[in-house]
Amino acid sequence: MQNKFSFNQSSVSLEIIGLPDYSNNENKDQISIISQWKLTIVDKPLIEGKIEHLGPIMDAFYIYSNLLIKNEIPPIYESKLIDIKADNLHIHNIVLKSSKPNVKPLVLKLGNSLLSDILNCFDQLNESPKVRIRKTDIPTYIPKQLRFGLNKKVKFFNFFIPPFIAICSLILFSSSFIYFYSPFENIENKELINP
Amino acid sequence: MRKSYVTNKIKPNEFDALIRITVEMSKYLYPYIREIIKSKENIEQNSVIWNDFNNRFIELIKERFNVDSMRVKKLLNQSENDEIIIKSLLILSFCISNQGYRKLKNFLHDF
Repeated sequence: MQNKFSFNQSSVSLEIIGLPDYSNNENKDQISIISQWKLTIVDKPLIEGKIEHLGPIMDAFYIYSNLLIKNEIPPIYESKLIDIKADNLHIHNIVLKSSKPNVKPLVLKLGNSLLSDILNCFDQLNESPKVRIRKTDIPTYIPKQLRFGLNKKVKFFNFFIPPFIAICSLILFSSSFIYFYSPFENIENKELINP
Repeated sequence: MRKSYVTNKIKPNEFDALIRITVEMSKYLYPYIREIIKSKENIEQNSVIWNDFNNRFIELIKERFNVDSMRVKKLLNQSENDEIIIKSLLILSFCISNQGYRKLKNFLHDF
């Protein structure tokens, strides 16, 4: 018998179906071996897949949400499985690419409200003690412009602070010489040399 | 930015407490936050919710913030404050889980 857990948030529902790992002495009401998952969004087509798709899709949504909040330019997330691009600050284009040949990618337009519902479902899944997810690594592409944007503040400070400190210390150091310099003595000396 | 005659620096434990209160309030107010965000997605159909929220937001800013500050003036400008408000609401809506405290703290440190 397979276990089934549902995580709901407003218009989105995430269903996880699978079995416990008995070899790891797990309880019978846990899920460690996920056989299927379904993401139901109101007014949108059903999204379902295998365990190897769930981890990359969750990562995509988490990375994209971070980019959306931290960067001013429209964020883009691209991978072999899923692309997410912003139409504007409120609408996001999601392209889900099938791993099967000759299957057209599924294109969805999601608003911010649905995006936050999906992320909250993923949060519930991550925090659930009854489901364990083993994530798989799929290479992702984040544009260079965004990568710079993530470290923008650090790079700015690294670039400007050292010369700024150098100029300040030079001014402070050279200002101390004003005490050793007397213009009247110099004039007198010159008069003595050239009377 | 606040309208205050005393410049008190916030202590780390007070900062943590404020984050925890904010996360708990976001959990409680999520349906309202969601509706406000949704109203902006389709502004032609649901302009009432967004306009009410924006007007109240500006009222509160004028009441409690130092209006002479340039940053506060930017918050009050209706053509410029959309992005700030939407991003702030999104951050709150992303932080309603049990680990929301950590998420909100990370978001604030990155700003």
